[in-house]
Amino acid sequence: MIQIDNVSFSYDLGKTNVLRNISLDIPEKKVTSFIGPSGCGKSTLLRCLNRMNDLVETSRVTTGEIRIMDKNINAKDVDAIELRKNIGMVFQKYNPFPKSIYDNVAYGLRIQGIKKKDILDAAVEKALRGAALWDEVKDRLKDSALGLSGGQQQRLCIARTTAVQPKIILMDEPCSALDPIATAKVEELITELRNDYTIVIVTHSMQQASRISDKTAFFYLGELIEYADTDTIFQNPAQKQTEDYISGRFG
Amino acid sequence: MSDTNHSNSNPFAYRKSSLNSKEKSMKGLLAFATYFIVACALCIFGKIIINGYPVLLNKGLSFITEKPQTLTVLEIEKNDDIQAPLENYENMLSSNVEPLEISNLKEFKKSFGYVTFDLESGSLIGDGYLMDIEKENNGLYLMFKERRQPEKLGFSIPQDKKFTIPKAELEIIQKNDPDLITSEVTNKEINIISKEVTIAKGEYPLKKVGFDALEKKTTLIFQMRQSYPDDEPDKVIQCVIPETQTITVPSSVYYAAFDEEENGTIPLVSEKSIFSSKTLSEFSLPKGAYKLSPASLRIFTANGGQHLHNLDRGSVVVKLDEAKTVTLAKESYDRLIADNPEIKVSNVQDKTQEVDYVSFTLDRDSEIQLNISDYQAFKEANSINNKFKPNAEHTHSYSGGGILGPIVGTACLVIICMVVALFTGIAAATYLNEYARKGGFTKVVRLAMLNLAGVPSIVFGLFGLGLFVMLAPVMTSSPSADSELLIPIAPLGSAPELRIAEAEAILTVDPELSTTLSAETARSAGAKKFYNGWLYLSFQGWGTCMLAGGFTLAIMVLPVIITSCEESLKAVPMGFREAAMALGATKWQSIRTAVLPYAFPGILTATVLGITRVAGETAPIMFTAAAAEKSDLPWQGIHSSGFGAFVDFLQQSVQALPYHIYTVAGRIPQSEYTEPMQYGSVLVFMIIVLLLSAVSIYLRIKIRNKIKW
Repeated sequence: MIQIDNVSFSYDLGKTNVLRNISLDIPEKKVTSFIGPSGCGKSTLLRCLNRMNDLVETSRVTTGEIRIMDKNINAKDVDAIELRKNIGMVFQKYNPFPKSIYDNVAYGLRIQGIKKKDILDAAVEKALRGAALWDEVKDRLKDSALGLSGGQQQRLCIARTTAVQPKIILMDEPCSALDPIATAKVEELITELRNDYTIVIVTHSMQQASRISDKTAFFYLGELIEYADTDTIFQNPAQKQTEDYISGRFG
Repeated sequence: MSDTNHSNSNPFAYRKSSLNSKEKSMKGLLAFATYFIVACALCIFGKIIINGYPVLLNKGLSFITEKPQTLTVLEIEKNDDIQAPLENYENMLSSNVEPLEISNLKEFKKSFGYVTFDLESGSLIGDGYLMDIEKENNGLYLMFKERRQPEKLGFSIPQDKKFTIPKAELEIIQKNDPDLITSEVTNKEINIISKEVTIAKGEYPLKKVGFDALEKKTTLIFQMRQSYPDDEPDKVIQCVIPETQTITVPSSVYYAAFDEEENGTIPLVSEKSIFSSKTLSEFSLPKGAYKLSPASLRIFTANGGQHLHNLDRGSVVVKLDEAKTVTLAKESYDRLIADNPEIKVSNVQDKTQEVDYVSFTLDRDSEIQLNISDYQAFKEANSINNKFKPNAEHTHSYSGGGILGPIVGTACLVIICMVVALFTGIAAATYLNEYARKGGFTKVVRLAMLNLAGVPSIVFGLFGLGLFVMLAPVMTSSPSADSELLIPIAPLGSAPELRIAEAEAILTVDPELSTTLSAETARSAGAKKFYNGWLYLSFQGWGTCMLAGGFTLAIMVLPVIITSCEESLKAVPMGFREAAMALGATKWQSIRTAVLPYAFPGILTATVLGITRVAGETAPIMFTAAAAEKSDLPWQGIHSSGFGAFVDFLQQSVQALPYHIYTVAGRIPQSEYTEPMQYGSVLVFMIIVLLLSAVSIYLRIKIRNKIKW
């Protein structure tokens, strides 16, 4: 689904690379997690996948290419807007808009120009059901999204992302601001979403990676140290650094 | 030693030290500074409120619903049966602080005859009569097709009258209107004295009477250092005579300008009396209405005949799409019909109107304060019985009426300013904060903006004068002949109505002429504008008007608006932008839907801060928009319709509150009558500003509660 081929990335026009020669294939309809200590570049790589790094003007992919559905996404004929419609993203700090729950979920559709109420209604309900939030909020769709608890808000953000029906969902430490119970619910949701979406998740929690992901990539100082099935990484890592990290000797 | 013991037992006892005393004095100093500010504020507001509230109390709501007026203070002897329209009588009661001693008050109705009629297109009437009709039919502005001198004009003489005119003029009358004079004509010879005077080059004082005489009746070349102020008719102004001149003047001029025993102030090098004689003819005309030629009428005009024709330019042919129903007082109507033989009216109806009047007795000699319009009504109502005759009459500008004009003007200026400033300000702030690369350019722009915020407001005033009043482009088919730059756009100009062309001195020139030549022709003909069939983009400025003032104020307030808009944009979390972008929104979509709405409370605060600042500025509008004296509200006196009317509205000059306060407080002679006005205006101004702030705070809290994160 996603082929990352020898990618180096720089935030300052190529003077220093924060990612160096990364190559990995991310399989379709599986959960892939990126782990590694802070500053290892895992979030940067994630943001390369939907070209969110475009917001930083001096950022460049300096070598290699990222192919999604066999298309180089940094090619000239790729529109970042169209790309992002197909690749949803969930952020570390849940960030629903200060609007109603309904408006939050419908946002992505509305900016695509969909105005018909019945289409929106159906899409909102589907997305909220998909995010296991429908039963909790169906009576207060018009209430402010900011009245929800943190876990609910994060699931609302996931619903907002799935409402536009992307192929891929990128998650940047989605549970780091949540308490354990809310985390469990979000993880449960991710496990369910795996059936319909390709999910790439960046996490600080190795337990979380081992619980929910099919494949795990370990990054260290901008390089991909090891990429394998989750079970392999956690039980039988090939690299010494990986073993040291997951056994808690550093990081 | 017990002290020492004590301190030994308490290691933390208070000890006197320089640090401790410094602490105390610093605290005192800081507190003093704070209370000093509070005291100053209390003094200022206290003074304004104490001096201002009696005005509001006396005048009540009329203070903000009436236009500024001149107040007349009259010394009136006690008298009975003084009459006045009820409305003006009530105004008199409310404008006098100390109650007048009035008895014998009787209300009655007085009826006035008036006529309604349909004025038809093609009527040929004189200028003055046209004004009469317009004055009594509010807002009417009649266009005309052409000017034509009618063959005969009406002329009425209310009583039998004797005329004495030079024989030559009599001959003109007899030639043009052979049947007019039927009475006997007697000729007599008289001697007249005129003076040949020589005036040396130099600078001399001159009274207004002398100026009028020299200006109207002589060929003397001279120049005044300044014009005579209307409110000080006795002022003496320096007059410059550029070269030594010898002229012949009638004796009346001699007495007004040269004779030191009379009004004369200019010394003469030499003078010589010239004696001559001429023949005067005397005849009389019985009362009645006559029809006579314009040439004859001109002679009667100079000898005490009354009419409202413009004999130099001829009467006007009224242009109407359909007959217009108008109303006119009976006497005016009769005069209109009698004096304009070629008028076409139909559907004439005599009507009467009843007006409430009062008559009263003034028990004591009193001093009465009356707005000038009320005073005129009193004078008119008592013109026949002569019961209202002041012994002395003092006028105080702007001290009567209210301050509606300035309030409306300030509101208009603020609205225009805020529309312009918010549009450009929000756009610029959004560009700088969301789109522009963070680098040298934005730094320079920000620095420039900060500097702009420190520029004194008078500089903005001059800048506005130079740019908006005198240079800004307008699209017009009758551009100013003095325009800085004229760019012809298309030969699609619409010819100006004759009336507009006359009022604005538009010269219609040959369409074959080039732009430069057209302007040249108009200038040399003394016209201000020209029309040659082309539509022009003319860099002639917008004139002193609220559009220019609003733009000037907008430029002045832009730094404040941009800075605070940028602050509120920065306060919107990055997460909103990212979330929107990640959902496939374009940059503008994300700004419009996920950034601007949440920056709105901050922008609102900036707006209101801007409004209060702009509303209080005097210097920027002094040269660009403000008029000290203006009787019309900006939407009154506009004769065009549709979009043209809107443009005309924007091109009106306005009174403005801060400028009005400045005028009342500093530019007119001060008196006990002007002072309350000045404090009243300030108080109203302060209340408006406080209200605005309160509304903004309320709105901000409300919106902030609705959208917060």
